[in-house]
Amino acid sequence: MVTKTEENQLNRLESQVDNAGGGAWEYLCLVRKLKLRRSDKVLKHGLSILNNPSKRSALGPEEWTLYEQVAVAAMDCQSLDVAKDCIKVLRKKFPDSKRVGRLEALLLEAKGSWELADKAYSSLLEDNPLDQTIHKRRVAMAKAQGNIPGAIEWLNKYLEIFMADHDAWRELAEIYVSLQMYKQAAFCYEELILSQPTVPLYHLAYADVLYTLGGLENLQTAKKYYTSTIDLTGGKNTRALFGVCLCTSAITQVTKGKSKEEKEGSQVQSLAAKVLEKDYKQRAPDKLPQLTTALKSLTLSS
Amino acid sequence: MALGFAIGVFGVLILFHAAYSTIQYRGLLKITEEEFSGPPFNVIITLSSLNLLTMMRFLLSNLWFLGSQVVTELSLGLVLCMWAALTVPGKFLSIHPDSEENRIVSLPANVDFMIFNHRGKVFPVEMDLKLKQ
Repeated sequence: MVTKTEENQLNRLESQVDNAGGGAWEYLCLVRKLKLRRSDKVLKHGLSILNNPSKRSALGPEEWTLYEQVAVAAMDCQSLDVAKDCIKVLRKKFPDSKRVGRLEALLLEAKGSWELADKAYSSLLEDNPLDQTIHKRRVAMAKAQGNIPGAIEWLNKYLEIFMADHDAWRELAEIYVSLQMYKQAAFCYEELILSQPTVPLYHLAYADVLYTLGGLENLQTAKKYYTSTIDLTGGKNTRALFGVCLCTSAITQVTKGKSKEEKEGSQVQSLAAKVLEKDYKQRAPDKLPQLTTALKSLTLSS
Repeated sequence: MALGFAIGVFGVLILFHAAYSTIQYRGLLKITEEEFSGPPFNVIITLSSLNLLTMMRFLLSNLWFLGSQVVTELSLGLVLCMWAALTVPGKFLSIHPDSEENRIVSLPANVDFMIFNHRGKVFPVEMDLKLKQ
């Protein structure tokens, strides 16, 4: 998870490095730690360090990690010869390494030769059948070829063995949402919330999926998760506030024909509406009239 | 920073002096009378001379048989050590999950599932990017 302080630090380092102010190695370390995808910058600044023999020797044993990082970034930017050169250097240094073998298979994947890459991955898996990254690369390959049901199948098999991998659950949830299989996506998000209950973004995504599914129970659960997001973020998440208002109006619409009981749901909605108005007044005052009309129409339709 | 450190060291020295004088007094008590009013004091002193609770207990037990010298030394050492412990390590980090510096801005991009045939392939490759041997 990228927190605000880390983001500030990253932006500062990025602007420093882009304006040729040095500090490229710290930037690359931070990108590696936060697992971000900044391939063009990593490639440019990584190559500037690697092509400079004095800076390269100053790194010591970290030089090989940098080669690996630059190789992957080069593949992402389609500079396949740079990637090939980096992998050649790594292969010369570590002749029997599975990690370099994985990089070579990754290069085959980037080139587009899917069968060769598949063969390479299967042979790597024969040596160690419990290598998580290779399983995940097979899923990614299926996804890249457009074979989404195949990717889902591989990913389900992977998750049967490694149930604690929350990145894989998140990937599966996103694939299901892209295919509009919302019930399964809700299951994946439930797993994510179970393993990491303090990340408000998962609560928000789960509430979104439930709201999309519709139906009275789902709407009520969605409202609960929107409120838990508001709780976790201290009321600063605009999307959750809107979600609460929309859920309440949708619930009252669904229960319009049935017996009307006075619930305290309206309290949450009016509080959320008040917070939204205050927020808009502070940050985007010219949009405030639109907001008030929208909120009024929500409460009127309920 | 250096001042806090120095005050911390001074507080520890005061505590050790208080402990030493208590040991001496207990030795004196052992000579004059055979009474053990608690577990071996040496052990407590050496193992936890900076432990807060032990210090409190020390203070209270000292109050009624050693008089004011060790009591004042102990309380002074307590105050100085606590102040140094709070000041020397530096800035305290916030623990609220929704504070401005702790809030989660974005989830990490799933790098394990990264695919390479995206639309970025059609961008022209910069020709001067090469790895020199």
